[in-house]
Amino acid sequence: MKRSHIIGIILIALAIGMIMSSLVSTSKYATFSESAKSPESDFHIVGKWDKEKGTIYDPQKDPNLFVFFMTDQEGTERKVCLHNSKPQDFEKSEQVVVIGKMKGADFSASETLVKCPSKYNNNKPVQ
Amino acid sequence: MEIHYSGEHSWAGLIGNFFIILSFTGAILSAVSYFITANKPLEDNSWKRLGRTAFRVHSLAVLGIMATLFVMLYNHYFEYQYIWEHSNLEMPMKYIFSCFWEGQEGSFLLWTFWHVVLGNILIRYSKEWEAPVMTVFSFVQIFLASMLLGIYVGSLHIGSNPFLLVRQLPENLGLPWTKLADYLTKIPYFQDGRGLNPLLQNYWMTIHPPTLFLGFASTLVPFAYAIAGLWKKKLNEWQSPALPWTFFGIMILGTGILMGGAWAYEALTFGGFWAWDPVENASLVPWLCFVGAGHVMLVNKNRKISLFTTFFLTIITFLLVLYSTFLTRSGILGNTSVHAFTDLGMSGQLLLYMLFFVWMSVTLLAMNKRLKIVYTLLSFSLLLLGILTGIKTAFVFTFSVLSLLVLILGYQNHFPKEEKEEDLWSREFWMFIGSLVLTIASFQIILYTSFPVLNKIIQVDFIHSIIQGIHNKMVQWFNFKGLANFASGKLATEKNAIAFYNKWQALFALVVAFFVGFGQFLKYKNTPFKAFARNLIIPLLVSGLLTGIIGYGLPNNNSLQYVLNEILLFCSLFAVCSNIEYWRKVGKGKVSKSGSSIAHIGFGLILIGALLSNSKKEVISQNIRGDLRTLDKDLSNATNILLTKGDTLPMGDYFVTYLGRHNGVGENKLYLYFDVEYLKKLKDGHYEHAFTLSPLVQRNDRMGNVFEPSTKHFLFRDIYTHLATADLDPSIGTGADEYSTPVEKTVGKQDTIFTSNSFLVLDSLTTHFDRKKYHLSDSILAVQANFSAIDDHGRHHLAQPVFTIRNNQSKPIEDTLNDLGLRLNFVKVDPASKKISVYVSEHKSNKKDFIVMEALLFPWINVLWIGCLVMITGTVLALRERLRKK
Repeated sequence: MKRSHIIGIILIALAIGMIMSSLVSTSKYATFSESAKSPESDFHIVGKWDKEKGTIYDPQKDPNLFVFFMTDQEGTERKVCLHNSKPQDFEKSEQVVVIGKMKGADFSASETLVKCPSKYNNNKPVQ
Repeated sequence: MEIHYSGEHSWAGLIGNFFIILSFTGAILSAVSYFITANKPLEDNSWKRLGRTAFRVHSLAVLGIMATLFVMLYNHYFEYQYIWEHSNLEMPMKYIFSCFWEGQEGSFLLWTFWHVVLGNILIRYSKEWEAPVMTVFSFVQIFLASMLLGIYVGSLHIGSNPFLLVRQLPENLGLPWTKLADYLTKIPYFQDGRGLNPLLQNYWMTIHPPTLFLGFASTLVPFAYAIAGLWKKKLNEWQSPALPWTFFGIMILGTGILMGGAWAYEALTFGGFWAWDPVENASLVPWLCFVGAGHVMLVNKNRKISLFTTFFLTIITFLLVLYSTFLTRSGILGNTSVHAFTDLGMSGQLLLYMLFFVWMSVTLLAMNKRLKIVYTLLSFSLLLLGILTGIKTAFVFTFSVLSLLVLILGYQNHFPKEEKEEDLWSREFWMFIGSLVLTIASFQIILYTSFPVLNKIIQVDFIHSIIQGIHNKMVQWFNFKGLANFASGKLATEKNAIAFYNKWQALFALVVAFFVGFGQFLKYKNTPFKAFARNLIIPLLVSGLLTGIIGYGLPNNNSLQYVLNEILLFCSLFAVCSNIEYWRKVGKGKVSKSGSSIAHIGFGLILIGALLSNSKKEVISQNIRGDLRTLDKDLSNATNILLTKGDTLPMGDYFVTYLGRHNGVGENKLYLYFDVEYLKKLKDGHYEHAFTLSPLVQRNDRMGNVFEPSTKHFLFRDIYTHLATADLDPSIGTGADEYSTPVEKTVGKQDTIFTSNSFLVLDSLTTHFDRKKYHLSDSILAVQANFSAIDDHGRHHLAQPVFTIRNNQSKPIEDTLNDLGLRLNFVKVDPASKKISVYVSEHKSNKKDFIVMEALLFPWINVLWIGCLVMITGTVLALRERLRKK
């Protein structure tokens, strides 16, 4: 067997190991109900902020707690506690992705991604 | 009847569109002429002259498009969509370049421009390679030029035109206002543009994109040479002229990527220079392959082995640049990236171009007529099926699998291979392995970054059922459930994706660094082992010693990452030491021979700097005020800290005071600075001023406010400070004596209302209270709400607003708590829900001036930046030497 074959085999083994590791250590886009079924694992949940219910952020009490209500893509609404400061431009968000897990009836998030349309959409000319 | 619009600068659009069409036809003519030339004997110059002229016309046309666009930006022609969208009157003119390439059209134009520059250099210097190389160049230019066409063929939209008037946008066609001849003066919309994204209003953004795009453009040169080599059956000869270009490209692309890191470090608030964001990864991945390609070319130049790998890496580098463009511009990354590029409807076109180049490369690499024909026929039937049925993803996937198969078949059966084996102790052997490791490293990044693409593929029905089947079998046979997320087609990166990348990439980096360390002392062909080992003793000892000293300070949490970090530190130090030793011993310290050593020293320093600043990064703004009830053990995110004006809090070695806010002046009038003073505590208990940082907010009503950090640079560490939140209410600090607009709160019993300095709990509602106090007769319907108000210091106050109904009208009696600056109005009772509504208003002086900030300490980050400069210098020296020898 040529040396290059041995190396080839090692590299392929490494690549397979890497792919498996990448595919195994993942999270998943899910809904609140799915997330509630396995409260031990982290999920990404895509949804919309419920504007009616507002937000709670009181840095005087805790600058690392931001609370809001979010409706996921199935229409389930849950309270989300983000353990970080209030994301910039949160009020302008058209879509929110929260990353974390269910804690009882609430979703406990460590990260959010806020999608704001304002930066990229045009307000159309009106007369 | 035709309308004559007043005030429109229609000439600009006419000129621009003329140039676009000219550049497109010029590229086609050039491609055709060069293609004919390449198929003729070398002496036949009849078509070459036409090819050159056409490419020069194309070049002038591209310059013309750019000049027109600049003139329009400079003169604020807001009737044009591109100008309106990317600039405004307020913006300082120094950002005109950023405006130019903020949009997709502008950045494609920039890319096209660099191809034009490189193409013209190649026309001059590439000699016998000119015709085939320029054929490839012109082909690429046809595609890029078509991205600006903006025409409709049936329902197919080709390109996005930067010279489109707002009234010509498809969604505006036929609207009543577009029929007004004087719409430009009548409609306020056209008086000012939307303006440049405030994030891009940074000097890095004027130099980072052009450098990066020059880097991307320079991957085309080796690619064009490789294709020319395959086409003209000169499998080895193409590498010699392509080699300097490759290292030029590696240097420029590397610089561009690092500039992006510098911009992120300086202007963004994620706290660091690298976050493994998909957009960052999309530029790093081609670079890693490019470095690999350059090194196997060096191998091949000395020994004719690894020919296939050279072709493969050179071609894949260019294809990865296209793939990156597709990833970042197609909007497919939507949920995963903070760089929100939106889809301009060009993703199909981009994908088609990419697939075309895949097809072209694989066909040429197949090396067998029958294989080529079968592959081509299958490819085009797949394309046709894809277009006819509209199920794009399934066919693209099938095509990719097909291409991979043909590539393997072609290599196995038809590609010429070297029979003899390279020696174990030879430079080429380890350089080759090192390049493969780089390729695997880039594969890991691109795989993890491509999850959204994978999801799209898995969601195709037949692929989904196959993968679901594999997953079920894995569970059945091995009880292995790890593939569940993958099989569901809803893959998302791990919560801590950065740590995941760091772990894998530290592993690859340490292997590569170790190779870089000893590889230099190996000779081509064969090296006497004893002499080789003797050379390595000093570097090994020195780097071992240094690792002991520096590595002792690395945070040890007994994790795998810690072990990897220590080994990586050793390997990087070894790379640095051994290259210094090589330069001293073998290069005799001469500048002319120093290039590769210096570049490798730089590479080692970059790794050391990245490792130290990242692993020893310290959040010094640890939160000590957090409410313990809400604090969660798994979510140790308590990195933001509240600072009220005048407060002094300890942070790391410092004490930090928030001094207050001030507005910028002149050009910076939209900036709001927050002055944070860092103090040192002296032995006698007094504080001494150390420095003041002013993180800022760029106020931007249209696009949202942008927070920018402020960093104090020291030689050995940086103190980085950024705001997480600040109340931007302009009344703060003005001391106005009035109450703010009331806010309605609806509460039931025992519910809580939070105010800025207290919280109120509704204890009870009663109709039995001292009515005389309010001059109410017993016949009037009246309810009193009893709130306990608990202030910051835990003191209790009583708030008792009253709700009455007199003459069928509700008449609230407000209660003002002067101590708390609080006014309550009880305005509504809802008997059904047993809830009441109160208006709460606070005295403006209640709004304390406070900020929520994060402070990070980055040690040794200067090693990283120095490493960058060293690596660039080394590459320049090596390039100069190589060109001089020629």
